[in-house]
Amino acid sequence: MAMDIEECFAEIAGARDDEIVVTSAGNSSEVWWEKTRDLESTFYLEASMSLSTMFAAGLALSYPKTRFWAFLGDGAFVMNAGVLFVERQLALPNLVSIIVANRCYGATGRADLPMGAEIDFASIARATGIPNVHRFESVERMKAEFDAAFRAAVPSTVVLELNPPQRHYESPPFDGAELKYRFGRALERRFDRKVLP
Amino acid sequence: MKLDAQSRRSPEQVAAVIADVLAGAGAELVASLPDGWIAPLIKHLGEDARFRHVPVNREESAVGLCSGAFFGGKPGVALMGASGFLTCIYAITKINYTYQIPLLFLITLRGAPGDEARYHVSNGLYLRAVIDAIDLPALYVERFDELPKIAEAYRHCQVLARPSVVGLSRGVLKGTE
Repeated sequence: MAMDIEECFAEIAGARDDEIVVTSAGNSSEVWWEKTRDLESTFYLEASMSLSTMFAAGLALSYPKTRFWAFLGDGAFVMNAGVLFVERQLALPNLVSIIVANRCYGATGRADLPMGAEIDFASIARATGIPNVHRFESVERMKAEFDAAFRAAVPSTVVLELNPPQRHYESPPFDGAELKYRFGRALERRFDRKVLP
Repeated sequence: MKLDAQSRRSPEQVAAVIADVLAGAGAELVASLPDGWIAPLIKHLGEDARFRHVPVNREESAVGLCSGAFFGGKPGVALMGASGFLTCIYAITKINYTYQIPLLFLITLRGAPGDEARYHVSNGLYLRAVIDAIDLPALYVERFDELPKIAEAYRHCQVLARPSVVGLSRGVLKGTE
């Protein structure tokens, strides 16, 4: 059983309060953009090859009173599963890593992941010592447990079991510099601190 | 801080000087992976309350972590060996160049004359060429009295809005140069 990514992301976007979001390559950036059109409080970190949660961890270190949601594709996770050890070591209570588990390289022709169908991402996260791990196969259950999964006061990993994408999604229409300044200036306004030169 | 080029010093003393230079430049976050030459420096930074030191799982993770932390207002410092640095080329060009995010790399000049490790020959042959190939601003520190270049590079990466790299020689890190 798995969720439709559009339905799942629409639910997360609708439940979002003031969380700052970092997306990963491909579908998480594209569908999050389609569902939110967020111009300022999402950093669309496209094609970083596994570094979205590390990027978000750097932010979470800098803004300890603000919650960060970081999407990470399962393809990216397979490339660099060791990020979980760093996340566990940092023990950031304001960081939620969200593994987008569609069991394929969804943005690049749905090519197979190695062992894609069998990987138990939630167990891997638990084994590294992440104290709050949730795995969702249905939107209904995700809604019921949303705060426990996405708003706990301890380091958290959420695994979203999703169907492979059924169509091509539009990429967020930013070049890198525009995104940097939109995101950075929004942080300056929100936190009343100097961020960018 | 006394930067006497003539007298010998221990690697621990060198580490303390580098920490002072970094702190004086305003650096706070340091993410690292080890190389034998920088082990005393990593230990020092881990114990120095002026820094938040984060050991990471691989060098690219240092790029990700420091790049996110830049949006807290200060560039991070990624400390690693030459071999690890060479694994970061994609992350540098895709994240730091695309989004114009500054970051200071402190790396070892492995494979340079004086390094007797044959498995670092490739670094000696290709490290500087790769740095040049991606137009990464670089300063090389091969004498103790050149350590203030680290602060220059930290400031310069912010002006350029892209990373810069400081290569540290074996002699400097071991306290013999």
